[in-house]
Amino acid sequence: MNPPTIDLTRLKSLIAELAPAFGPSGEEGPIRELIAARVRPLVDEVRTDALGNLIAVKRGGASGARRVMVSAHMDEIGVIVTHIDDDGFLRFAPVGAMRAPVLLGQRVMFDDGTVGTVGSEKLDDPKDLKLDRLFIDIGAASRKEAAERVRIGSMAVYAQDVRAAGRCLTGKALDDRSGCAALIEVMHQLQAEPSPHDVYFVFSVQEEVGLRGARTAAYAIEPDVAFAVDVTATGDIPKGERLAVKVGGGAAIKIKDRSLITHPRLRRLLIDTAEACGIPYQLEVLPYGGTDAGAVHLTRAGVPSGVISIPTRYLHTPGEMLDPHDVAAAAALLAEALRNPLAVGPD
Amino acid sequence: MPQPTNNDSVLYGPVRKLLRELSELPGPSGLEEAAQDRIAAVLNLYCDSVHRDALGNCIGVKSGEGPSPRPRVLLAAHMDEIGLIITRIEDGGFLRFAPVGGIDPRALLAQEVTVLTDPPLFGYVGVKPPHLMDSAERERAVPIEDMFIDVGLPEADVRRRVPVGTPVVVRRPFTNLLGTRATGKALDNRAGVCAMLEAARLLSGLRFSADVYFVATVQEEVGLRGAITSAYRIVPDMAIAVDVGFGEAPGLPEDQVIGVGKGPAIALGPNVHPRLHERLVQTAREHGIPHQIEPMPGSSGTDAWAMQVSRSGVPTAVVSIPLRYMHTAAEVVDLEDIRQTARLLALFAAGLTASDKEGWSRALA
Repeated sequence: MNPPTIDLTRLKSLIAELAPAFGPSGEEGPIRELIAARVRPLVDEVRTDALGNLIAVKRGGASGARRVMVSAHMDEIGVIVTHIDDDGFLRFAPVGAMRAPVLLGQRVMFDDGTVGTVGSEKLDDPKDLKLDRLFIDIGAASRKEAAERVRIGSMAVYAQDVRAAGRCLTGKALDDRSGCAALIEVMHQLQAEPSPHDVYFVFSVQEEVGLRGARTAAYAIEPDVAFAVDVTATGDIPKGERLAVKVGGGAAIKIKDRSLITHPRLRRLLIDTAEACGIPYQLEVLPYGGTDAGAVHLTRAGVPSGVISIPTRYLHTPGEMLDPHDVAAAAALLAEALRNPLAVGPD
Repeated sequence: MPQPTNNDSVLYGPVRKLLRELSELPGPSGLEEAAQDRIAAVLNLYCDSVHRDALGNCIGVKSGEGPSPRPRVLLAAHMDEIGLIITRIEDGGFLRFAPVGGIDPRALLAQEVTVLTDPPLFGYVGVKPPHLMDSAERERAVPIEDMFIDVGLPEADVRRRVPVGTPVVVRRPFTNLLGTRATGKALDNRAGVCAMLEAARLLSGLRFSADVYFVATVQEEVGLRGAITSAYRIVPDMAIAVDVGFGEAPGLPEDQVIGVGKGPAIALGPNVHPRLHERLVQTAREHGIPHQIEPMPGSSGTDAWAMQVSRSGVPTAVVSIPLRYMHTAAEVVDLEDIRQTARLLALFAAGLTASDKEGWSRALA
């Protein structure tokens, strides 16, 4: 069987459109509106739940149809303003896993388009480079002038577009807007060749601060089976971590991370599907980290859950880098898996 | 090798045989299928029905004779063991790995392991010869990232036979020690599973009123995960985690250990409902079961921690089997402790009556 045809141009432009949008954990409004507009023509129903998860339902309606939850988080890491000083400089705390050495010198943006540069106090030792020594300079001359644009609790994210770099794409928030793009591509695929199942596409909130959106979405949906699509770390850079996953090596089928050990039957199903359809894949063990599936699989009486990962370098930096062919492989694998009977429930 | 006496074989023979089999089953967290199959088969001997849930928890039910609605008691013993998982194949065919659960890297070096391919491969955790270590290296523990498993095969064979994600467990045949003691791998918590299965057998010879759910849980070692989902499904009126506790040994803080061979330890602390604790102690006293009290000031670290906050809350208790050298390949238990734990669980469950359905929560005047 040939791999399903993915429109790579469409996929790349979708990633380039979604990744720059504003959406730190808890403030996902702008990215949610953007995704909602893209998915509305492709599904039967679109709704937002109490926490802000965007849930798009595509009904299969076949007899024996299962309820399948497919999740990609739309939130991104960011910073939140904690203090404005007399001279208009902003102190901040991280929203999600932000590292000081990465932030220094970056341009960040607020949801109204206000931009700032991340500066540092004078440090005697580079080891002192910690988040509490950094500040954001939005060009304000005083507290009053700064307060006209931002207030305590305002959030900012990296200001960065998506650019092509050789075979790859690079930009901010490819974690996990590339997964969101993969889900939308799956919707296109299911238009052409439907799934028998009722598929609940969840663009989840607050993943970066503790898998929170997926937890409540799964409770409401009560899925029989669940998949998450998220990025994963790779071992293919100079003197990098000892991981087997490579950018350009295909969709990564997760075996384990800190939040989940993939249900063995679901793991086999994904591997067999990739083999049968000629979809490039690799196997992934991540000694840390977690995805929406970590929360989903422990919902109610338990949900067999799997993860299709997109290998990505330089995670949680404004220069995340991935190969769109891997995103295409992830979308193709998920679309094929959704056409499977998915008989992986309890005995 | 000490030979069991005749008396020993009557009292301990079946438990010894079952514990050996359970100990040697491979079943790292999340990859417990072989253990699930075997434990489900044993549960089937004693239970009215057995099923496996979405995560792989094996649930055996024995229905009591009391009038409906009967009190529902959940006994949970986790079947998973700590282990390793292959993360990468290095040049030369050496296997890199990450821990599954709370592995102590210092207890891994120079261990024999079983790489759970089909068929399994024998492996060895390689060590740098001390002659080649500089003085700094001799002083520091080897980080787990720098360790590797050698399966003694050419690289091409390794790449063909060992995919990334293959689970690994330590290899250690179960061995009888003198008297009623025994040593082996995964006795945390196959000793608890053994006691729970033995309790199911004992209960088969008793008349009882309550519905008893025997649950061999999965993924305890990576976050009490099986207990979360099985308690949700069962909606128990009370739940008891059967796990292992720190058996006394030289160098351990005296206030944090329990005696080996002194019977089950009945825990007391915020994870334990005081009335459930009292009922267990009372059961032990009435039936002459040797027991000890184990203070647990905080999380018990057992399935009970998850079960306690399932849905709108569940009265929980913890019963511990004393065990030495926890999370190593040479854990030590006393069969008498397992036997007495089984008696405690069975007699407790048999003592429940219709009135235990109500009364745990009530309106305040």
